[in-house]
Amino acid sequence: MIRFSGRLRSALIIGLQGIRSRKLRTLLSMVSLFLGVLAVVVVQAGASIAERAVLADMELYDGFDGTVVMEMGGSSPKVEPIVLDTVAGRSDAVAMTGMQAIIGEPGVRPVNQGGGSFDDSWGGSPMICDEQGNCREQTPAELGPQGQAIELRLTALTGDVRQFRPYRPQAGQWLDFTSVPMMAPRLVLNKEAAKGFDRYKVPAEMRVPGASANMTPQFVGVVDDGDASPRAYVRLDELTQWVPAGKLVDPNMGEVRVLMSSGTPVEQVLTSKLKAVNIEPYVHIVNSREEQESELALMRWIFLAMAGLVLLIGVAGILNVGLATVGERVEEFALRRAVGTPRALLAGIVLAETLITGLLTAALAIGASAAALKALVTLAGDSQPFLQGVEFPWEAGVAGVIAGLVAGVLGGFVPAIRAAGIPIATVMRA
Amino acid sequence: MTALIQLSGITKVLKGQEQPRTILDGVGLEVFPGESIAIVGRSGSGKSTLLSVLGLFDRPDQGTYLLSGNDISRLPERRAAKLRSSHFGFVFQRFFLLKHLTAAQNVAMALVNGQGWLPRRERRARVMQALEQVGIAHLAKNRPARMSGGEQQRVAIARALVREPKILLADEPTGALDTETGALVIDALLGVTAHGCALILVTHDRDHAARMGRVLHLDAGVLTEQVAVGGTA
Ligand SMILES: Nc1ncnc2c1ncn2[C@@H]1O[C@H](COP(=O)(O)OP(=O)(O)O)[C@@H](O)[C@H]1O
Ligand SMILES: [Mg+2]
Repeated sequence: MIRFSGRLRSALIIGLQGIRSRKLRTLLSMVSLFLGVLAVVVVQAGASIAERAVLADMELYDGFDGTVVMEMGGSSPKVEPIVLDTVAGRSDAVAMTGMQAIIGEPGVRPVNQGGGSFDDSWGGSPMICDEQGNCREQTPAELGPQGQAIELRLTALTGDVRQFRPYRPQAGQWLDFTSVPMMAPRLVLNKEAAKGFDRYKVPAEMRVPGASANMTPQFVGVVDDGDASPRAYVRLDELTQWVPAGKLVDPNMGEVRVLMSSGTPVEQVLTSKLKAVNIEPYVHIVNSREEQESELALMRWIFLAMAGLVLLIGVAGILNVGLATVGERVEEFALRRAVGTPRALLAGIVLAETLITGLLTAALAIGASAAALKALVTLAGDSQPFLQGVEFPWEAGVAGVIAGLVAGVLGGFVPAIRAAGIPIATVMRA
Repeated sequence: MTALIQLSGITKVLKGQEQPRTILDGVGLEVFPGESIAIVGRSGSGKSTLLSVLGLFDRPDQGTYLLSGNDISRLPERRAAKLRSSHFGFVFQRFFLLKHLTAAQNVAMALVNGQGWLPRRERRARVMQALEQVGIAHLAKNRPARMSGGEQQRVAIARALVREPKILLADEPTGALDTETGALVIDALLGVTAHGCALILVTHDRDHAARMGRVLHLDAGVLTEQVAVGGTA
């Protein structure tokens, strides 16, 4: 016991002595390990942030996982009353009806005719379709003069859809479904629509097909809905004050979709009601995570490979520093053996040196990267929702530490083993 | 008086070449406490090899090696390390100081070697005593790069002495030094025999050899006693 503690103390004393007196060498291997651990942590944190970003985007576009989506074509006039009756007053299902709307000067051609994005120029004349579904290109005379008007997709909601679709607020408010419906319909724009209204000064006058008169909307907020075309969201009950029942779903461009939580009776009821009038709804369940699993797995592997590569470079650096001093160390170890130091203690000295610098450096690197990550999340987490709740990748930190220690031990042991193998006499003869 | 060291029939053969070469050929030698022995001989005659065998760096192929009457001809490395620490001190032509350590740390190295543990204060006292013994206590905090060759060699001697060895082996310790400095180093080495430590010195310098109690001649691995060196030749 006494002998053991004597050796342990000897190893620590000699190890510390080596660290203190060979500052440059120690610093070089510390820098190498520091960068290695830092890089692995950064790469792994990057991977988990990228994964979150991908998932957040998929959720934004498709809705939360588990949401049941039922879609029916808008061509049958029977769809509208059945859907609206069934979801009325329910909190676990929201119906969305879509139609084209034009906001701006009356009697002019919208700047983005067809409702496309403001930056794309699609070229060609838009199509016009009759009640039978026969379409043809519009003639210039029919198009009319281009003027200060914007065409967008107007989505009317029977309830708060954000329990199914995580639209990200950008400005103003989201629709308030608890208040009394207003005569001037409140609109929430998506980012693209907001861009259009920002770019073109258009009067607040809105035309929708089937409406009894033009209405004056109020813009209450902007959200990011993941859509690249201009859209606006409105309470269905505010729209129905202008659009009579039965006209809410445009036979040409209309669509009806119901979002509901899984397990709600609405799905069953709605399906049987629709089947009774010979309409077959299309139902699917949002499952983006699983659908993207292989893509995410591939991404994870790529990041893992990158982290491994980076670590390898760091390890090579440490090994290099260790090997660069082999000659000097071989002599030192032969000398130590000459004065009676057992080989086990030589191993202990190398280990002590490595562990002390390795653990210290790894602690520094992990501390620095954890602090940096925390700062990043605090500073940018509000505007970048996928940064929220990003955790420090501990596995990466641990992997970095282990790899660093292995490299340090190798870098230290290669000369130690060589020194232990060479006869003292040979070294001392030189 | 019993011999400290008794070698008989020590043979060392260098293998690994086309023909095995005998480097030590039936060497016999007795060393008594406090005596000083010079070993002279041409380069390549096997002097360093003999010191390696004596100092337990190397094992003989044949013959017996008794240390204080115990046969240590074939000792496992772990026990050899222990004996090197407790019985032997070494001084080489090259000083083999660790350049990142101070003089005191270089000397302390022989104490902090896992063979027993000394409290810090006692360690320091013994290091300073060893440095004083060779007259360079004032250089304790200097690193080798800032010392002259003679000073460095004396640090190496202090390192050999700090464990109070029973046998001091010196392989051409003055080979890299000028005559005057060399004489100082020999003084320091001879000083230890006063405390009962035996000194075995390999040297090419006739004057240094003449200061030893006995002079042995090594020729092609054969060791013979030389009588009256520098006297009636
Ligand atoms: N490890 C070795 N490799 C090759 N030759 C060696 C080795 N050790 C000793 N020798 C040879 O053994 C002989 C004796 O060497 P050495 O003991 O160093 O002689 P000295 O010290 O008297 O000059 C020399 O011829 C030397 O070349
Ligand atoms: Mg020699």
